[in-house]
Amino acid sequence: MASREKELSALTQASDPPRGRLSELVGRLIYPFLRGEPPKPRTPTGFYTDTTVCIGCKACEVACKQWNQLPSDGFEWSGNSYDNTAELSATSWRHVKFIEQFSDGLSGTRVSLDVAPNEPDLNRWLMMSDVCKHCLAAPCHQACPTGAIIHNEFQNVYIQADICNGCSCCVASCPFGVITRSSMGGHSHKCTLCYDRQRDGLEPACAKACPTQSIHFGPIDELREQARKRVEELHRRGVPQAYLYGDAASQTYSELHSFYLLVDRPSVYGLPDTPVNPWLHMMGDYARSIVGGLVAIGALLAVVFLLRP
Amino acid sequence: MQGDSTTPHPFTKPPLPGGGPASGYANMPVIKVPGWYGTIAWDALLNGMATGLFMAAAVGELGAPVVFTAVAKVAYPVALVLLLVDLGLLVLDLGDPLRFHHMLRVFKPGSPMSVGTWCLTIFSLPLTAAAGLSVLAELGIDFEWARILAVVVGLLPGFGSAAYKGVLLSTNAQPGWKDARWMGAYLTNSAVLMGCGELLGLSTLMGQTQATGILRTAFIVLLVLNMIPLGLLFANLQPTHARLYTWEQQWRVGVFIFAAGTLIPLGLTLLNGGLRVSFGAVIFLLLGSWIIRFVFVKIPHTSPPEI
Repeated sequence: MASREKELSALTQASDPPRGRLSELVGRLIYPFLRGEPPKPRTPTGFYTDTTVCIGCKACEVACKQWNQLPSDGFEWSGNSYDNTAELSATSWRHVKFIEQFSDGLSGTRVSLDVAPNEPDLNRWLMMSDVCKHCLAAPCHQACPTGAIIHNEFQNVYIQADICNGCSCCVASCPFGVITRSSMGGHSHKCTLCYDRQRDGLEPACAKACPTQSIHFGPIDELREQARKRVEELHRRGVPQAYLYGDAASQTYSELHSFYLLVDRPSVYGLPDTPVNPWLHMMGDYARSIVGGLVAIGALLAVVFLLRP
Repeated sequence: MQGDSTTPHPFTKPPLPGGGPASGYANMPVIKVPGWYGTIAWDALLNGMATGLFMAAAVGELGAPVVFTAVAKVAYPVALVLLLVDLGLLVLDLGDPLRFHHMLRVFKPGSPMSVGTWCLTIFSLPLTAAAGLSVLAELGIDFEWARILAVVVGLLPGFGSAAYKGVLLSTNAQPGWKDARWMGAYLTNSAVLMGCGELLGLSTLMGQTQATGILRTAFIVLLVLNMIPLGLLFANLQPTHARLYTWEQQWRVGVFIFAAGTLIPLGLTLLNGGLRVSFGAVIFLLLGSWIIRFVFVKIPHTSPPEI
């Protein structure tokens, strides 16, 4: 195997002929301006994560790392329950969160599996596998000045790694703190929703690996239907707190193509309670900026005209 | 960026539980802070200095050519040098500086960075022409009509280059920055003020008494005018500052900014002194302007004080 690899690498590559420095420079300059035929739109897909069945096994994190060949982040004890991943990053595209909700006085009390509607749910674990939200109107997509961030044919937010130049506008604009610029290469990275697997008709690695079906993958409309039924079922079974986060648009934010079923406030899970798309203010900010400048120029011009000899 | 953690999510139909004893990730930051820091504070200053100097010189020259042409011919090359340094900082701040030209593969009006990149790129062409032709004119090769044409052509992209910066810094999810509705107005207004100050310094240095007299009055008017967007910006940022700094710290920085950036330049200009006094006024203005930009850029990198 190894000798075969050496043999192959020694061969001249027909698709990648050797180039001089000048042609390499020209190629590098021209390359980002070349456009291929965009793929035809397919059925929009996404994730629906039911946090009530997550067991915090981190199989999704491992599967994501393995499939996408993401490097290790090292290991550090965070001191926050079993969460030693700490955050979504350029090299961690899935992050399993652990929330321990135990009342000190009741720490020894056993929790009944038949949860009654009026029982306080103080002694419980909440777990959630976090990921890019693949927003329909994604601030990162709006911010990206290179066009590296696109909505692909599955309506997933995708970063073209060969185009990104690491300007960090996407990092600044994401209200969920998902995108990070890598220290290796200086480009931004995040979940691709396993674009390569989807193109081959496979489900994303995390959803495939999830042993409890907490992570659902599929056409977004079907997922929403499935999630709403699950919420109704949980309400019937005595979990009135269950609700969907991001399945529909609000006044300040679009719907998410990766949405969640939660049973506590969003902020408890590290999600913004009321996400706001920064672009809501852009036109007003531009107007104020222009007026601010025009007033100054007008004042300068007035003084020049009034005092000129 | 957590917002009010007691506010239910808009799609939450059933009542949410009240805050339990364990709030999970509620007190942890959600937003990722971009690596924009000192370089960006300098970029915001140099951007304003370059575009402002060009606009002030252009307005002066087009409004009163007899008075301002001589000083404008020096101002354009200076503005070009400032712009080149600024562009260098912008490129170096990228994660992959060799991919800077990728910014030019698309034009996205909805992306302030894209608008800014295109404005700066277009602006650099007439500015280079105006600067080059000004230098040639000093050497006796005069293409006056071409130089004036370059100045006129450069006005719009020059204004755009000044106007986009504040919008870029306010159109994002960063704490403080996202609330700075008047950042763009302040930066654009401040660019013209700084440009007027720089032109005042140049005209004083060149001994252009008529231009100096007019610019001194304009400088005073613009200094007073600039206090309006600055005040509104500080009102925008007050809740964030209150969270990050003590009252004493806020007052100390506020008084220092007001004194260095407005009162001292105003006082020195009213003194109507010579070269040193004019230069002192401009240097204090630039110092105050830099501190304001630095304090603003620092916000997402600052943690609330331990109580």
